[in-house]
Amino acid sequence: MKHARVLFNGSTLDVTVEDSFSETGQLKSKADGQLINEADVTWLSPIAEPGTIFALGLNYADHAAELAFAPPTEPLVFLKGANTLTGHKENSYRPDNIEFQHYECELVAVIGKEGKNISREDAMDYISGYTVCNDFAIRDYLENYYRPNLRVKSRDSLCPIGPWLIDKDDVGDISDLKLTTHVNGELTQEGTTADIIFDLPFLVEYLSKIMTLKPGDMIATGTPKGLKDMQPGDTVVCEIEKVGALVTNIVSEQEFYGDKY
Amino acid sequence: MTKNPIVNGKLVCVALNDSEQFNAMQAEFAEAPYKGAPTQPVLYFKPHNTWSTDGAVVEWAEGADSMVVGASLAVVFGKECCRVSQAEALDYVEGYTLVHDFSLVEQNYYRPDIKGKCLDTTAPIGAEVVSIADPQALTVITSVNGTVVNETPVSQLVRGVAELISTISYIMTLQPGDVIAVGFPGQRAPVAKGDNVSSVIDGVTKLNNVLGN
Repeated sequence: MKHARVLFNGSTLDVTVEDSFSETGQLKSKADGQLINEADVTWLSPIAEPGTIFALGLNYADHAAELAFAPPTEPLVFLKGANTLTGHKENSYRPDNIEFQHYECELVAVIGKEGKNISREDAMDYISGYTVCNDFAIRDYLENYYRPNLRVKSRDSLCPIGPWLIDKDDVGDISDLKLTTHVNGELTQEGTTADIIFDLPFLVEYLSKIMTLKPGDMIATGTPKGLKDMQPGDTVVCEIEKVGALVTNIVSEQEFYGDKY
Repeated sequence: MTKNPIVNGKLVCVALNDSEQFNAMQAEFAEAPYKGAPTQPVLYFKPHNTWSTDGAVVEWAEGADSMVVGASLAVVFGKECCRVSQAEALDYVEGYTLVHDFSLVEQNYYRPDIKGKCLDTTAPIGAEVVSIADPQALTVITSVNGTVVNETPVSQLVRGVAELISTISYIMTLQPGDVIAVGFPGQRAPVAKGDNVSSVIDGVTKLNNVLGN
């Protein structure tokens, strides 16, 4: 099943996304079964209470090579704040006066059960489902301190996520899912989760050895090669086979912040 | 694990903000992997599994030979804080408390230190939020088993409270219940299993913890 959260008539609503959605454009309220037109909602992050957001750097061999890094021998994990999360078809901003902002299409696994010292063999029991995120980076802001630093990776709106959370069993095997990113309709990134260096069971074991994982924690598993600069006005679609396609509109910093700019 | 009643959203910590340490490390900053001193505050998150309380037992890191602690003045936000100037920064503060950051010994600052900094219960946060007119005038004193190991005036920080709030608020919108730990002593204090760690701010507020076994 696909679970989403939307804003409808000023309230947050939990909905399911049925197979008929692609034809009807209708979402189904979990509370009362009411059918709601997508046109009448604002998509929200599908995770109601986001916990720790783990993200992986350089976790696809081809992407590491693209950035002229040797593949890591240990996962490069960084954390993101929940302020970065925004929903499907929402705006993300390009900061003023920068040279290079790129998308990163990533498979996100969401933790469904608390656990510590989880073995690789048991790891998948702790996953509730998957979604897609676009883990934008502002390369201009990279510094060699806790790299990739929060200024690069923890900015408001710069981790769109969704459109929905799909149950783990509805996806099945995740070891060879195709990932693509299209910018304004043009294919700019293409890869497969088969190229992941540290796979999800490894990451669950690795992280849970350090710390307790809790429901709502998320692991964004990294991105394949295919970087491209983004500009206000661009529409970027990150799609992962069997999971979903996440649409984001790039706006200027001024447009995004409005009165607070 | 004990849920802390104060911190709600994110706990942002500032590293390398003790000017004594910052100045002493200039030669190291110039070398690889840093290749230059930081031009921006060096920030890290302590995620929710680390949050703990005054009086709590801090878990000893499994298999670790040694751990260290630093204490910081912590700014607790009372209202949404987005892109504010230094001049107005303190208006968004509900009050102040203390944070202990227990971790493994800091090896370097090049990559996010998930292994060292994200251990369960290693970020106790004070029980009370205190109003203070001038946070820059405070001094954080930390003792281990009754012996003072650190005494760091807030005025010794490279970047002060208002500047940090302003800079961070341009990166991420801060929400009520978010906390910024503005700076730790450059020399973190070594601790052993069973140690008592207590920090005070000039009799204004305090934070006590015990290391587990």
